[in-house]
Amino acid sequence: MSLHAWFMALAHSPLGRAMQNSRWGFAVVEMVHLLGLAVLGGSVLIVDLRLLGVILKGESAITISRELNRLLLGSLAIMVLSGIALLSEEAGKCYYSPAFRWKMVLLASAVIFYFTLHRQAILHARSGTPKFWPRIAAVVSLLLWLGVGVAGRAIGLL
Amino acid sequence: MLRESNNAFSVIESVHVLSITLLFGTIAILDLRMLGLVLRTISVSSMARNVLPLTWSGFAVSVMSGFLLFWAEAEKMYANPSFRAKLVLLTLAGINALVFHSTIYRRAHEWESQHVSPWRARITAIASLALWSGVIVAGRAIAYF
Repeated sequence: MSLHAWFMALAHSPLGRAMQNSRWGFAVVEMVHLLGLAVLGGSVLIVDLRLLGVILKGESAITISRELNRLLLGSLAIMVLSGIALLSEEAGKCYYSPAFRWKMVLLASAVIFYFTLHRQAILHARSGTPKFWPRIAAVVSLLLWLGVGVAGRAIGLL
Repeated sequence: MLRESNNAFSVIESVHVLSITLLFGTIAILDLRMLGLVLRTISVSSMARNVLPLTWSGFAVSVMSGFLLFWAEAEKMYANPSFRAKLVLLTLAGINALVFHSTIYRRAHEWESQHVSPWRARITAIASLALWSGVIVAGRAIAYF
């Protein structure tokens, strides 16, 4: 099956049908998506600002990251699930949207980066003055997640 | 001017959404700490000291960008029920924060390192999460009315 066929299958799935036929479906799911965004954004920001040495300098970066990991992945899961529902309403449009394609590429990059290099940076950060690489990892992480948000906002506009 | 420029409106709207993410995301983590759900090893006042400046920056930017958005559609907004609901919820969230900071937070040194905060602090945290979520929901609904 081609990628386009998958998008069409989603649009014609029971979920897609329900979303397209319901008057408030899109609005309600979009609100859930935004609430998830706020929690995800907050967790990412606090972990990365700690890596940069801007806030909570006295606390261990590993502890903060481990504690917020659940919140980050939980809100990410809510965003992915609500995102699939939003996509099912207008899969045909999204398939051709450059903003949507950028968002997916940035999202994949942000998630892969989070589980690989970002995790390494956290382990090396320890407490005290942050080193060069953890700082770079924090900046890259912030830029990637910011890019996901901006590209997402652009889907509705382009 | 703003009403006529579609791009400017979209850019300001995006800034508005991002600053609300900053505002809500940081206050939500502080609320979850007060409920004893995350970062229990860090004291409430240390979290508040570190996180609240971010919350305030988000608040300042969202108020400014929100004012510009309102300005572009002031007449339409005045009658919009979601807009009115958003302002009421925003005021309640403000009062909630004010009451917390002028009462129970003053004695934070007595309870800040406990894993679970006193019930009044927990009520404030739940109210804050509910009210700010309401602000986001009502804000998003403005576009649908």
